[in-house]
Amino acid sequence: MDIFGSFALLLAFLAAVYAFVAGIIGIVQHRTLLGKSARNAGMAVFGLVTLAVVTLEYFFFTDNFTLAYVAAHSNHALPWYYKFSSLWAGQEGSLLWWSWLLSIWTFFALFLNRRKHPELMPYVGVTLAGVQIFFLTLNNFVASPFRVLAAAGPDGAMHVARVAEGTGLNPLLQYPEMVIHPPMLYLGYTGFTIPFAFAMAALLGRYPGEKWIHITRRWTMVAWCFQGIGVLLGAHWAYAVLGWGGYWAWDPVENAALLPWITGTAFLHSVMMQEKRGMMKVWNVWLVFVTFMLCILGTSLTRTGIVSSVHAFAESNIGGYFFGFLGIVLLVCLAAWFKNRDYLRSDNQLDSLVSRESSFLFNNLILLAACFAILWGTLFPVLSEAATGSKISVGPPFFNKVEVPIALFLLLLTGVGPLLAWRKTSTDALKRNFLWPVVAGLVAGVIAFALGWRDIYPLMCLILCVFVALTIFAEFYRGARVISQRDGGNLLAAAGELTMRNTRRYGGYIVHFAMVMIFIGVAGSAFNQDIQKEMNIGDSLRIGPYTVLCQNFDQPSNDNYESNRATLEVFRNGRSEMMLYPERRFFRTSQVTETVVAIESTAVHDLYIVYAGRTPDTNIPVIHAYLNPLVKWIWFGGIVMVLGTILAMFPDRRAALVIRAATDRPWAGEPAPSPVTATMNRSSSND
Amino acid sequence: MTSSRNSDRFSLPLCLCGQFLFFLAGSLLLMAYALPARADNSDRAKALSKKVMCMCGGCNDTAGTCNHTGGAFSGPCDTAKAMQKEVADRVNRGDSDDLVLQSFVQEYGPTVLPDPPKKGFTWLVWIAPIALPLFALYLIWEVVRRWRRRQQLAPAGGPPISADLLDRARRESHGDLRE
Repeated sequence: MDIFGSFALLLAFLAAVYAFVAGIIGIVQHRTLLGKSARNAGMAVFGLVTLAVVTLEYFFFTDNFTLAYVAAHSNHALPWYYKFSSLWAGQEGSLLWWSWLLSIWTFFALFLNRRKHPELMPYVGVTLAGVQIFFLTLNNFVASPFRVLAAAGPDGAMHVARVAEGTGLNPLLQYPEMVIHPPMLYLGYTGFTIPFAFAMAALLGRYPGEKWIHITRRWTMVAWCFQGIGVLLGAHWAYAVLGWGGYWAWDPVENAALLPWITGTAFLHSVMMQEKRGMMKVWNVWLVFVTFMLCILGTSLTRTGIVSSVHAFAESNIGGYFFGFLGIVLLVCLAAWFKNRDYLRSDNQLDSLVSRESSFLFNNLILLAACFAILWGTLFPVLSEAATGSKISVGPPFFNKVEVPIALFLLLLTGVGPLLAWRKTSTDALKRNFLWPVVAGLVAGVIAFALGWRDIYPLMCLILCVFVALTIFAEFYRGARVISQRDGGNLLAAAGELTMRNTRRYGGYIVHFAMVMIFIGVAGSAFNQDIQKEMNIGDSLRIGPYTVLCQNFDQPSNDNYESNRATLEVFRNGRSEMMLYPERRFFRTSQVTETVVAIESTAVHDLYIVYAGRTPDTNIPVIHAYLNPLVKWIWFGGIVMVLGTILAMFPDRRAALVIRAATDRPWAGEPAPSPVTATMNRSSSND
Repeated sequence: MTSSRNSDRFSLPLCLCGQFLFFLAGSLLLMAYALPARADNSDRAKALSKKVMCMCGGCNDTAGTCNHTGGAFSGPCDTAKAMQKEVADRVNRGDSDDLVLQSFVQEYGPTVLPDPPKKGFTWLVWIAPIALPLFALYLIWEVVRRWRRRQQLAPAGGPPISADLLDRARRESHGDLRE
């Protein structure tokens, strides 16, 4: 059976090589049929890698420990859903996972465009096949998940061996979110390959106009959204599983996941410059290139362990392959750009510094500065060791010092940018749009200062959050009021109508509001409290408005683990509110102890309790309690971000109505458009 | 028309004011409730333990926030716990913050500090994130300045139009008007 999986992977590799070579010949010799054959081979890779994935899952579900990978990451007692997620728990499986997700993206990109853009798609197919070849090379020849265990038999020859029980899944990965976090993150990493392929294709094929931008916008948004969800799920996992009371530690692997999301964000903003004004063409192409390269870098940091990280669940020597591939990608990008740089000449230039264009320019500059600072801090220990021989640390305080001011400036631009007009904004418009939000923000700051806030960053964050939230509300309000005055409906319905008429714009505003929510949540961390105490039955501790009373300690267990559990009763204002059960679990097969945190989460704060073990000298249990304000806003912000992104991907209702009106027209003559359509067309120019 | 525009001008700030008060009151009440006065910093040891890296070699975190995973423990690892205790002992002894940090540097070298020292090669880690964006900002400014200068120098009417072409345009536009 392992042969079946290996064979499917080998065929997938050959299909990708064929798609690459035949695609290039098809382009060079203008052989359309060969090009179609290459495209079909590219799509076939999906089916073949799927076979390999299904085979490996079959091994996990049948506890077939002849396979080294299954023996290292599963065991009999593992619940079925963790057996499923064990596929990506280690090096070989996660690289196969990468290939599979990439093959899905590739299949859909090629299939959905099979009758469109005939000049562009062959280049897209070749680029995608090139990336697939790299990962399938790793799957087949460097880190195959289908290696069997072997042992010398009595005759001295090597035979397939089988262990009675597997090592089991790393306990840290035995958490429901770990079933969905890696797929989300990897969907983001792999998804950015599609805009990369289209950008490369447009450049190499000198595809006229901004068409490639229109084609890739939705693909980029989907990948960006998945990457964002992946990052937030990772943060939530760190919060709920690692038991240190925080969700972001500027760990290299966390940083690596954030980098392509940041450059992707910059791209999603700067494409508007190209669509509206034909500007920033070079910048956009390079943003897509850099985003893709950061995805490869991020994957390599997670997989190779070249920088120490709590999230690098696999360490190996495949770093050389990744950096070799990165070098090749960079060279290809440079060559493609250099050869076709005249194709990227701007149609327009900046008219004023107080304009939407300049705000996008600053937004991109700041996002890139944030990205560079994170990348620089992450890799600097390696650089420093190579340059001076002495190792230094670049820890969370460095990132906080550098990134917090940058993030606050970005938050400011989130409020300012959308309200500036294209080309030039008049002083009157500036006053009209910003006066009240600025005043409101400042008043909020003064009140917070009077209430005792003294830290500059939380204070600034509050001011900016109020400012940005109000600018967003004002935008909805203005548009909704016009519609409600004209149509006579209520404001809320008008706001819905407004949103559906320009989903991209108002979906974007909702995403901006999600960022405000996330900033509010992060600002709360400046006010975290915690207390650690040895507690016997009957002892209590106080934190914030809560009193935690220790009721019991017991030891529940099952086949997978045995546990030490505390039963805690939580009182608030003298009234019993809830019971919490923090645990420490000892996993039998992996011999690892793991914390299970008890969290009571509200919109105001989280009561976060860790059973920290027993004091060695006294054997008294230790309870560590945290009160973390506003954390829930971060997770809600994530949900709002997803909703906003989905909304922004919907076609405008306006466009749908125009199409319907066009198709409803009688054949003879051409009557004037209906008042509704005409109004909608008039309002369409302000994205 | 004018009066309606005037009423718009007044009603928009009024509505915004209402929204603002609602949002402000909500957020401030929430925050005032959620964020009690920041805990005083009497626990210097806790703050100081966040200024030294956990030296277990398996994580990239400070001793105060160590969440070393994957080993036979979670939460602060044994190394981090020992470092936290050492910080607490020194603080209780009356050592100054600098003295506590220096003692760790002597024991482990500069790698124990999460903030890289601002000297020698490691200056770069601090300077680059500031210098590069500033340089990029300068480049943008320079490019915009050149664009604007070029726009000012460009002839206002665009490329010259021949007399024949101008006549034809006039004829056609008159024709359009007659239709």
